[in-house]
Amino acid sequence: MTSTSIIGTSDGTAQRLAEIRGGVRPTRHNARTIAALTRNPGCARRAVLDGAGVDKQRLAAYIDFPSRFGQSQFALARGNAFEAQVKANGCADLLSLLRERLGLPIPEVAYDDLESVTGRDKESPEVRYARSRALLTRAASGDSGAGTLFDHPLLGLEVAGQRVYLEPDLIAFQHEGRFHVVEIKSFAVVDGQADPSKVSAAAIQAAVYVLAMREMLAESGYDPTIVSHDVVLVCPRDFSNQPTAVLVDVRKQLSVLRRQLGRMTKVDQMLAALPANLSFDLAPDAAGVPTRAPDAIVDALHAVDARYAPDCLAVCELAYFCRNEAKGCTAALGTSAREELGGIERVETALALAHDELAPAEDQAEAAALLRSAARLRAELMAGVGL
Amino acid sequence: MAESMEMLERRIDALRAEVRRSVVARDGARTRALRAELRTAERVWEQAIAELTDESDSVESSESSESSEQLAGGSLVPVREQVHHALILLSVPAAPRLVAEVHAAFFGGTATSLGANKLTHLRRDEKRSFETAPYARPYYLCSALTAEHLAPARGLVAVSTWPLERRIVGPLSPRVDFLTAAARLAERAGSVPDGSVATVSRLLWRFATNIPGATSSRSGVAGHDTVDPAVVIRAAEAEREVHADADQAQRASAADRARRQLDNVQQLFGSPLRTLEGKTA
Ligand code: SF4
Repeated sequence: MTSTSIIGTSDGTAQRLAEIRGGVRPTRHNARTIAALTRNPGCARRAVLDGAGVDKQRLAAYIDFPSRFGQSQFALARGNAFEAQVKANGCADLLSLLRERLGLPIPEVAYDDLESVTGRDKESPEVRYARSRALLTRAASGDSGAGTLFDHPLLGLEVAGQRVYLEPDLIAFQHEGRFHVVEIKSFAVVDGQADPSKVSAAAIQAAVYVLAMREMLAESGYDPTIVSHDVVLVCPRDFSNQPTAVLVDVRKQLSVLRRQLGRMTKVDQMLAALPANLSFDLAPDAAGVPTRAPDAIVDALHAVDARYAPDCLAVCELAYFCRNEAKGCTAALGTSAREELGGIERVETALALAHDELAPAEDQAEAAALLRSAARLRAELMAGVGL
Repeated sequence: MAESMEMLERRIDALRAEVRRSVVARDGARTRALRAELRTAERVWEQAIAELTDESDSVESSESSESSEQLAGGSLVPVREQVHHALILLSVPAAPRLVAEVHAAFFGGTATSLGANKLTHLRRDEKRSFETAPYARPYYLCSALTAEHLAPARGLVAVSTWPLERRIVGPLSPRVDFLTAAARLAERAGSVPDGSVATVSRLLWRFATNIPGATSSRSGVAGHDTVDPAVVIRAAEAEREVHADADQAQRASAADRARRQLDNVQQLFGSPLRTLEGKTA
């Protein structure tokens, strides 16, 4: 059993996804990949790869467009070290933060570790999910003494027709009948300020957990809104190792997430539109080298439509490949440029229009005027620099 | 982490050899692919190196320097005994990291970084030794057990001579044990050799900041040297009172269960193989 369990898909679909993926285990979905899905929901290419659980990082490296981000083992290790510190000694640091920030009263200290249930190293997600669900619903029922901190609860979420388990590095904490998601991140908060892009990524990720917890409670017949839309973000303060906590309202992220997850094409529909022999199998030979030529993989990628946007660079492992493919398309310049240049698909066309070398079609007139004045402005500016 | 580095290095070597072979074989596609994999691996390696240096810098500034090389010659007391000393001082099950810090602060020398790996080994040795000759040693380093499944609690070491109740951790136990440990450290803080005063008060301060009322905030900002052990003890006891009864009751009932259900080895090292299905909760 792998931890990304696909429940509720038909055998045929599962079979098809396995063919697309090749003979390897599907890569795990996590809050990060789900958060990323919502950033470019229109891209079929990623939907297929993610739906099948293809290791995109490896794929990208194989076709010679290695991604320049990704979860480096070592960045993860640093994050884990901070997390361990915050949770050390019965979550001592975290408890005092929660007391300060949320007025958690002294008697509320119960701590349940849901990562390890029976003390075995590898427990099936079902065991852990069942246990998380039992403890969290018991707490939701208002049972007194039902717990305060739930470390590493295992949650489930429906993503594009698949049930995926999420394994948050987080604590859900309960206080006065409400749950809060706690997200521990190792980026620094300096003078009360943190890198907004990191905060927003953390907020989307936390929103994924909020949503998953709400679904878990709703399935068991509890009011989902007892999971607060305020999440607790714990970060190191001012370059020290001292943790600090802020409340982040993730209502906006929640609604984006809900809409995008809902809109996301169902796997079956998506599969129906693909060539029957499509596969990204990187099956290795005896020496561990993939047997299929990179060109074959590239062809397979071309067979699925992509919708590249500069945003991809931050969220998708295939970004360098897709950017290369999208070279010359105005879409690759970003959403705002694409909107301004509505109806003009290629950069060459835009340039030709700007330089009056091409007569604009009827629907291009407006954009063409804009481009021409931009070109004029630029020319004047450049002339000024030349003086 | 050192292990992953080694694995990476081995992989990089292997990839280089593969690239060479495929160049000789004039297999262009394969060479390209291998080069890509090699580049990725090298990048990860470089990142790892950079982060290792970062990490050792920060460790050095925040704590007394510790590195795995130093500890081999650092202390003449075997790890087993170091752990025992520290645990006896703390009097509650503790994580290896805390054990190492306590030992370094109170018994001097460099902190032995008791990695999870080392701990696993140590515990396995102890278990084997107990199985072959039960109770032959005066004490064994063993596991704390979870109250619910009587399974070994993750990452907590305990001493076999403690009563079972003390080795069991229920939901309230981490906090109770933290407060107990704080009080014990404070009691001992007055009687350490001069050289250790600074490290001990730093350790105590870290505990104190997480106990309401434990840092006598005269000026609002308590530095580590202003932590008053007597105040820490009082504050820790005050909070411990709040949780003690409920915690004790949970521990006692789990301990009863353990005595009935587990054999001697399992009582010390946990019973990882039971999956108690059909939870009664
Ligand atoms: S990088 Fe490519 S595959 Fe990934 S989301 Fe963007 S367009 Fe889609």
